[in-house]
Amino acid sequence: MKTGVVTAVIDLNEPDEALRPLTEFRPIGTLPFAGRYRLIDFPLSAIDNASIKSVGLFLPRSGRSVQDHLRSGAAWNLDALQGGVFTFPYIAEKDYDSPIVRSRYYDDYIQFLRKSDTQYTVIMGTSNVANIDINAVMAYHRLGNSRITTVYKQVNRNLVEANDWTLELSELGTTSSVVLAKNHHGDPNTEKLPLFMDVYFLETQDLIDMLVSASEAPNFRHLSQLLREAVLENNANAFEYTGYLSPITSIPRYFAANMAMLDENNYQALLFSSRPIQTKSKNEVPTFLAGDSRIESSLLGTGGYIEGEIDHSVIFRNVVVHRDAVVSHSIIMQGSKVSAGSTVRYAILDKGVVIGPNLTLEGTPEKPLIFSKNQRVFQAQGVRA
Amino acid sequence: MATEMLGMILAGGQGTRLGKLTKNTAKPSVPFGGRYRIIDFTLSNLANSEVNTVGVITQYQPLELNRHIQNGASWGLNDKDAGVTILQPYASSEGEKFFEGTAHAIYQNIAYIDSYAPRYLLVLSGDHIYKMDYRRMLAFHKQKKAALTVGVMPVAKSEASRFGIMNTDDTDRIIQFEEKPKAPKSNLASMGIYIFDWQILRQYLIASYATDSQLEDFGKDVIPTYLAHNEATFAYAFNGYWKDVGTIQSLWEANMEFLSPHNPLNIGDRNWRIYSQVSALPPMFLTASAHVRRAMVVDGDYIAGTVTHSILSQNVKIGEGAVIKDSMLMPNVVIGKNVVVDHAIIGENAIVGDGGEVIGKPDDIAVVGYGEILGRKEKE
Repeated sequence: MKTGVVTAVIDLNEPDEALRPLTEFRPIGTLPFAGRYRLIDFPLSAIDNASIKSVGLFLPRSGRSVQDHLRSGAAWNLDALQGGVFTFPYIAEKDYDSPIVRSRYYDDYIQFLRKSDTQYTVIMGTSNVANIDINAVMAYHRLGNSRITTVYKQVNRNLVEANDWTLELSELGTTSSVVLAKNHHGDPNTEKLPLFMDVYFLETQDLIDMLVSASEAPNFRHLSQLLREAVLENNANAFEYTGYLSPITSIPRYFAANMAMLDENNYQALLFSSRPIQTKSKNEVPTFLAGDSRIESSLLGTGGYIEGEIDHSVIFRNVVVHRDAVVSHSIIMQGSKVSAGSTVRYAILDKGVVIGPNLTLEGTPEKPLIFSKNQRVFQAQGVRA
Repeated sequence: MATEMLGMILAGGQGTRLGKLTKNTAKPSVPFGGRYRIIDFTLSNLANSEVNTVGVITQYQPLELNRHIQNGASWGLNDKDAGVTILQPYASSEGEKFFEGTAHAIYQNIAYIDSYAPRYLLVLSGDHIYKMDYRRMLAFHKQKKAALTVGVMPVAKSEASRFGIMNTDDTDRIIQFEEKPKAPKSNLASMGIYIFDWQILRQYLIASYATDSQLEDFGKDVIPTYLAHNEATFAYAFNGYWKDVGTIQSLWEANMEFLSPHNPLNIGDRNWRIYSQVSALPPMFLTASAHVRRAMVVDGDYIAGTVTHSILSQNVKIGEGAVIKDSMLMPNVVIGKNVVVDHAIIGENAIVGDGGEVIGKPDDIAVVGYGEILGRKEKE
């Protein structure tokens, strides 16, 4: 088996309505995170850290940002002679009515899995910021009785949202079903809920069988649905993850997850563990902090030029903050500029946003102001959260 | 396989004047400017000048340099039929081929150069900080129908006696070369950048090694020989920023100049980027107690102390209460709490424990070597 023991599959088509307009032209997987990363770096790094060499990526409607980030996959050691990254083009949901397109959906998976020829397959989403040890999941899977393993984390109930996927755990510790939190049957008084982390681990042959039989059925069922059905049929092993987790499913969660990285403990736990998070590296010059700059409690990317004040903010690479400008409690993505004398509080600036001089733009922690990619803002009037 | 101009970087020198910084590594691989190593400037100039075939001659402590260069992909110098080749001394049936000097190193690698059949040979050193388009120098070389063109830099008259000085006529032809003259007649200092007509140089080298009058060094032997034989030897004047970083003092100065937003090197110019091997480190973290001003910081840095007019390379940790001033810290340096670092260069992987002091003066820069570990007070 030249391509190792495990194949990985990532489907970048994930529900992203609650993250608009940030996901207007990119999938959740390429949302910038923590001043340096894209969300897909977390599953890809887990894949790299488990020495997985064969990865299938199912591209979203707008695949450009994915291709640009991924390139050869070298950043995650996926430019291997044996294996590598295989991308599959987007198929619009509405086209699944056509039996030909429908069979292509299953066929893409089946061909890829057969060719990879590994014993196991791991299926991961991209909307969870976490650092999963896939080898530990595999070891657990081998010890378990079920043919499929699910990964979850016990999360405080108040942090779980109605439409999050959760696991119904049996008293034996196995998963009996994957259900939305609002339909969860557990004791409502327990402090925690098992939040499903969108990770399945199973025998590749079982997955192929599942896909073959689905391709013969008259109606379309998405892989995620097939997997939930497989859990219902067989019960699943339930691997409990205890590391850092931030689910990114909405703007408030996205904002809070970035701000959480300003807590040194979170920053260290997620980014400086024995399993490093890899990302595409760029040739960028050092960031220059000028004489009157004042920066505290913030993350900064390279290539920046800072003259103003920054606090409690996540600043990506190549950002300019001019004299007497104040950036506070905000996320400023790559290539954005805040002009002299302007104040930006509780805001998210997508890539390439320009804020003109002497403006005051303030959102709230619950409802940050959002500026879309390349937006030019020269007056405060009309800017609303 | 024909290449118009082949680049050769002489990266084998020991760099003794950098003291403990080059004890275990070659000078071209010494970190510079927060994100770079010295040789990145030469390699990037080559890539930006579309000189895609490059031999890097190494000899002294090459491990770190080899790791840095790898297959040249970081500079886009990994074309299938071109790219970077590391050339190390080797043993052969004629004996060991250690390099006795700059010209000797080229002589020892004639087979490599011939394999690309270049018309011109561009010889560079890997230890200068500058941005230069070698294509312009080649155009000059062709226009002058030169056998050898030497890159020169106008220096202050008072400084000229420290350099190899080229005296030229009004067509830029070199009529005299003086190594460190007491009474310099011109201010054109050799930058150690040469374009040779390869076939002519090849003949001179082979002829000299067939006899006892061996051409070991370009400055000492080859240029005088060319002049003596009346070969067309011209000086190409370069007017941009150029800095030799061969001493602790000049390395520190070049870093401090690099820090200025007005530095003529213009590192942010996206039309002439300086590339380096980059790794994926987390973004820099400035805590609530960080005070960072007039400083360059890069990814992986963690700063809880005060940093003024300094450069921090990747993965540097600065503890609370520490004060870093007018200094350059190389990658992976750890500075403990309440440490004072002033006018210093701290080598890669060095650790300065809590309360330690590393204090130099503007004309006497303090140096902590690679991997050195300093305890509480250094001066006791």
